Amino acid sequence: MSWQVHLPALILTIPLLGAFVSIALTKPRLRNFWFTFILAATAVLAFLLWRRVGAYGTLIYVMGGQSWNFTLPSGMAFPIRIIMEVDAFGAFMVLTGAISALASGLFSIRFLDRVHDGNKFVSLFLLLLTAMLGLEVTGDLFNFFVFLEIASVASYGLIAFWRDTPEAIEASFKYTVLSTFVALLFLVGVGILYGVYGTLNMAAIAKNIQVGFLEKVALVLFIASMAMKCGAVPLHMWEPDAYGQAPAGIPCFLVVVGQASLYGMFRIAFSIYGQAFHGSVLAWIIVVFGLLSMFIGVVMAVIQKEAKRLMAYHCISQTGYMLMGIGLGLLALSSPQAMSEFGFTAMKGGIFHIINNAMYKGLLFLTAGSLFYATGTTDLNKLGGLSRNMPYTTAMFAVAAAAIAGLPPFNGFVSKLLIYESSFVVHPFLAVVAMVTSILTLASFVKVFQSGFLGPSKENMTTIREVPLTMIIGMSVLCLMILALSLMPNWALSNLVEPAARDLVNQASYIQAVMGSGLQ
Amino acid sequence: MIDNLPMIVVGALFVMGLYGIMFKRNIIKIAIAVSVVESSTNLFLIVLGYRTGGSIPVYTLAGEFKKMVLPTPQALTLTAIVIGLATTALLLSLIMLLYKHYKTLDVYEIRRLRG
Amino acid sequence: MTIGTIYTGFGYWNVYAWVMFFALGALIVLCIRSTGRNDYEKGTYQDEVFYGGNPVPQDGQDLAVPASSSYWGFTKAIASFYDLLVGVHTGILSDYMGLLIATAAVISLLILL
Repeated sequence: MSWQVHLPALILTIPLLGAFVSIALTKPRLRNFWFTFILAATAVLAFLLWRRVGAYGTLIYVMGGQSWNFTLPSGMAFPIRIIMEVDAFGAFMVLTGAISALASGLFSIRFLDRVHDGNKFVSLFLLLLTAMLGLEVTGDLFNFFVFLEIASVASYGLIAFWRDTPEAIEASFKYTVLSTFVALLFLVGVGILYGVYGTLNMAAIAKNIQVGFLEKVALVLFIASMAMKCGAVPLHMWEPDAYGQAPAGIPCFLVVVGQASLYGMFRIAFSIYGQAFHGSVLAWIIVVFGLLSMFIGVVMAVIQKEAKRLMAYHCISQTGYMLMGIGLGLLALSSPQAMSEFGFTAMKGGIFHIINNAMYKGLLFLTAGSLFYATGTTDLNKLGGLSRNMPYTTAMFAVAAAAIAGLPPFNGFVSKLLIYESSFVVHPFLAVVAMVTSILTLASFVKVFQSGFLGPSKENMTTIREVPLTMIIGMSVLCLMILALSLMPNWALSNLVEPAARDLVNQASYIQAVMGSGLQ
Repeated sequence: MIDNLPMIVVGALFVMGLYGIMFKRNIIKIAIAVSVVESSTNLFLIVLGYRTGGSIPVYTLAGEFKKMVLPTPQALTLTAIVIGLATTALLLSLIMLLYKHYKTLDVYEIRRLRG
Repeated sequence: MTIGTIYTGFGYWNVYAWVMFFALGALIVLCIRSTGRNDYEKGTYQDEVFYGGNPVPQDGQDLAVPASSSYWGFTKAIASFYDLLVGVHTGILSDYMGLLIATAAVISLLILL
């Protein structure tokens, strides 16, 4: 169908239109209906985009409609327009983000009944959705920076949404200062690459790159800024504050926004620098980030007393799994023998972990949000015995906690198995850290389950009822995805993950899709 | 050496802004320091595009010209300035709300979230 | 069976085999359970909590184990490590920035040299 050619642009336009229109919608029913409609439309478009990329390979879309380059009279052609380049890895991230946005948006609708300016929340949420999808489809470095800033500013506003809570403002302030500085570091890196190569097009830079001193400086800036945005230890300190204080549907969505910056890091490391960067220093830096994040994230999580802060520390630790998995793939990039031995398996594990983490971490944040909605507190010392009053929440929490701890038969086990086995080949210590992290994850979620849901019912908690229907529907979207991924892991691996891993490793096809053949 | 003066200024501004964010206790000074770092980044982008003896990159207004400075970094800088404006505005309004809640502007005191 | 099997390079995982074994195990557990006593009445003395011989508190609040005291053995055993780690998480913005710059410096040393 010919309209599907415009899918990469449509997937950005529809949420953006939704964001701008929703400012005017102050009536609750109209606003909720518009919100749900835009989220559902984006999810459908994301699915169609994924199907199209699967059928046609890497999609190129030039903003402006004509060709992506400009031929001078002298015959030289250089890239000038902003392009969107969607390969299988980008389409995979778009699909994950759209599903997670649908679930958290459906969940947040009920929360908006308690505030009087819900239309601003909807507008910021849809703006954040646009920016996240833009991060994942763009093929141009400065466009990436612009979408990064849009996502950051929208999330500053969303984290500080409960303005009457001092801690929320404090969390948003810390996140704002750190994130602004880090985005400026990214801009300096983009400027350096522009100064050397004269173009901002990712594929054009990748074709011509020769790693000298300046490119290494730019690489350091990119890695530092993207590592902060996705929450790698020791740059993670903002994450428990920010995710712990945001309104309940928002941390579920911020998980996928953080993964979009993880996507950025890997796009830069694999597709722009790729094999031009000799040596394994970059790969080992990413693996060490992963190790530190896994271990320190979960060790800090065991002692937390507040449910959402605990889950935010777990988010840091799960990001460590993804960093380690894909970092091991980067380690094996230069030798095909290593790639077939452990690299490709590690990459499949890391990429599968991306969608797994979005599903079960999102569901955990939503259950913490429904605890907050029902009881008014997320302090684990005050909750207790709620499994009799909130059966659906309890069941979904149990599923999500078993999935995140890596218990069979859930999908968390599959991706962790791939990561354990491939990291064991590289060095047994990596696998040991990964397994200890899994055990401590299980420990801390058993703690949350026991203190929140099990135990005797307390006096002040006997009138708690289950959360409303739209919130249960929001949670069950994610729960169904977890169960589907658990029961059909090899379909998911071969159709979702393997094309993504293959396209990420294949720098040549990324360049080829844009540059065609024989252009400078 | 004199040709590299703009880059030296960029580096000096960046380091001064960084010093402000890391070592100042007043959060308004931290916000000002973030703004200084933004300015240094914008200056860096403009300086990238400069060509010695170049004229403004507008065909109809340049008159006699040998070469032009690059226009793309100027577009990037405009975008970055606007983004910096939005972020500074949000940062200052957050500081106002922080003062209303915490009654202090000291970043060492605003730490209810820790551990 | 080969449907639903994932072959990692080192072994395999089949979710349906796992579910079948789990169902088989659950069946065995149910069979063993059904050989027990069946005179359990809810609401009689059989339902009450054993609280060490003491009278059971009425309010669940006094009975529950709070979350702060879970895993106290683990926390006490590595208390020195935890003090160091929680001490690093100060909550002060300038320290966060310092860690960011220190990490960027370490990465740049590793990559540029």
